[in-house]
Amino acid sequence: MIAAFSPFLAVRYLVTRRINLLGIAGVMFAVWAMLVVDAVFTGFVSGIRRDVRTSTTDLLVTDLPHDTGYERLREAIEADTGLVAATAPRLRHHGMLQRVRQPQRRVRTQGSSQVDFDHTENGFALLVGIDPVREEAVSGLRSWLVRGPEELAQRYPGDFWSSTVLDEPDLERRSQLRAKDEVEWAARRRSNLPAAKNVQQHRADMPGVLFGWQRIRRTGALPEAEPFDLLVAAVGSDNQLRSDSDRVQFAGCFATGHRMFDENAVLLPIETLRTLLGLDSFDPASVDLVTDIAVRVRRDTSASALVAGKQRLQRAVQALLPPGSPPCSVLDWEEQNLVFLSAVAHEQAMMQFVLFVVMLVAAFVIYATLHMMVVQKVKDIGIMAAIGGSPAGIGAVFLVGGFTVGAVGALLGIGAGLLSVQYLNPVNDWLFANFQVELFPRTLFDLREIPCDLEPSWIAKVGIGAVLLALVVAFVPSRKASRMNPVQALSHE
Amino acid sequence: MNAPVLQAAAVHKHYRIGKQEIPVLRGIDLSVQPGESVALLGASGAGKSTLLHVLGLLDPPTTGEVRYDGVPVHGLPIGERARLRHRHVGFVFQFYHLIPELTALQNVLLARMMAVSALGYWGQRKAAKAAAIAMLEQVGLGARLHHRPSELSGGERQRVAIARALLAEPRVILADEPTGNLDSHTAAGVVELMFGIQRDRGLALVLVTHDERLAQRCHRIVRLADGVVVS
Repeated sequence: MIAAFSPFLAVRYLVTRRINLLGIAGVMFAVWAMLVVDAVFTGFVSGIRRDVRTSTTDLLVTDLPHDTGYERLREAIEADTGLVAATAPRLRHHGMLQRVRQPQRRVRTQGSSQVDFDHTENGFALLVGIDPVREEAVSGLRSWLVRGPEELAQRYPGDFWSSTVLDEPDLERRSQLRAKDEVEWAARRRSNLPAAKNVQQHRADMPGVLFGWQRIRRTGALPEAEPFDLLVAAVGSDNQLRSDSDRVQFAGCFATGHRMFDENAVLLPIETLRTLLGLDSFDPASVDLVTDIAVRVRRDTSASALVAGKQRLQRAVQALLPPGSPPCSVLDWEEQNLVFLSAVAHEQAMMQFVLFVVMLVAAFVIYATLHMMVVQKVKDIGIMAAIGGSPAGIGAVFLVGGFTVGAVGALLGIGAGLLSVQYLNPVNDWLFANFQVELFPRTLFDLREIPCDLEPSWIAKVGIGAVLLALVVAFVPSRKASRMNPVQALSHE
Repeated sequence: MNAPVLQAAAVHKHYRIGKQEIPVLRGIDLSVQPGESVALLGASGAGKSTLLHVLGLLDPPTTGEVRYDGVPVHGLPIGERARLRHRHVGFVFQFYHLIPELTALQNVLLARMMAVSALGYWGQRKAAKAAAIAMLEQVGLGARLHHRPSELSGGERQRVAIARALLAEPRVILADEPTGNLDSHTAAGVVELMFGIQRDRGLALVLVTHDERLAQRCHRIVRLADGVVVS
């Protein structure tokens, strides 16, 4: 029970002391900052997680030994029909890509040998060999190819055409990501490469490669079937480093939403990559090499079933690996991006901590003002005691004061936070249009607009937390007031 | 015979300063009957104010008993003592002790807010306000309801303090040199007011004063010297 005089006096004391506005302003600012910054961060993280999810398969069987073949494992994995809907092979390797140039444009650095490598345009790439037909069934490959040109078109001028390689009815050509005959013929002519005399006689034979849209940002818009040289190096069976190259053509651009993947990865037919690594598909002794197997699980799979299924798959695959092989892994989408997602989550936690410190500063302001108030009101404390105020009631005056400062500050902060989140993008646009100032530089994160995701539970946590913190810091001056000797208080000068 | 409305029995009060014990009251016995006015007279340092604080439960006795209506109350829990102080006694101080942020009306109303909860008070706030206004009108401040203490004269402030002391309808008024800070003309008015109300309401009054003439107006004079009742 709070005695009636406690809130009555608390409010009178607050409204007659302007310094309390400092405490209210402090709490308001801290709450505002916690809401707005966290809303942007949460929106940013949600976007990242959404993008990472769309760029990642449900499960990935990985950490396979060096010479693992796909077919045997596929049968074992797809045998788990309660869990697995589809699988696709993947082969990861590193390589280099060089745009084929017309001789008259070649620039040779004086003193160097034949090296003419322009790393600003292309360069090293994470080569991901895929079976396009199977890949479509396990990942969003088709939607990635739609999104790629869209992302570019929204940012840059140019002809960012949409790839149609997945619409090729001939499965052989589709699996090689080949361009249409006439398109490749035109590209060869454009690049002074050998080509039939007329288009009718030409049969496209260059395998296609798909670039992430972030790579296209560097190279600029590329025409269909633009030729590239692809160089791969690997250690052969004789333990010697050997390299091989092939001529490939640009078959389209993709955007998964995963920035690092879109920047580094180049997708190409898995058979092309196997051949470059010395594995001839026509050789019966050759291995259908994979480094990973992407798995799509059935849509109705529960989280617990997924956990159990992962263990089941791991055991099934491990049983087929040579004895003594290190354990393979079966990773869900979060585990596949564990480091990245952990880093983002850690960054968000650090941000929240910094903002909490801002809140602590506001709390200390409340403490200081309330403590000062107790010191100034010693005589009043004696008066309250003399006319029948209990120690608890006297303490409550200052506790209610702290609560009021915290609650008013939190409410104002929540109001300001909601308004800021609502109008963040228009204000940011206006600032940029008029003063070339951006609160959040969108280009830094390739964002079309500042993402804002203000969760009601976070608003409640911040608001209640601010009030509780104000109460905690008000407790000390409140206790001091309640324990004051009334006779000494009355005679205080 | 009824039990005394207020009683001190063998009250000792010591203060400790460092390692030294300073005796202020040394075995005080005092009984105040309902409607009786008692003047505590004595030189500075005689222990008058300390006795008043002990009688009003602001300060516990070191030894001895304080009884209200014959019931020992000095050992009650601190919260209970505060409630009893509010119900049983009303203080009037030399320096008025009004809260500067509040108007005259709010200072008086405060006495009604001490022992009720915030919710409980909400239901009776209009009645409490009417009672406070009536009390201020009775002490002649009907036109000064919304003035703050800084806007009132010394005499007016003391009238507000008297109104505040009376609003909770106590049975005893403990007045600590109520005219000590007033000019003689104003003091006379305050004294008349205080004795008039005490008489009309049948309240007990314990009046601490240096003023022999003022003390003579009481039913009884108790003289203190060095913490002992001397006559």
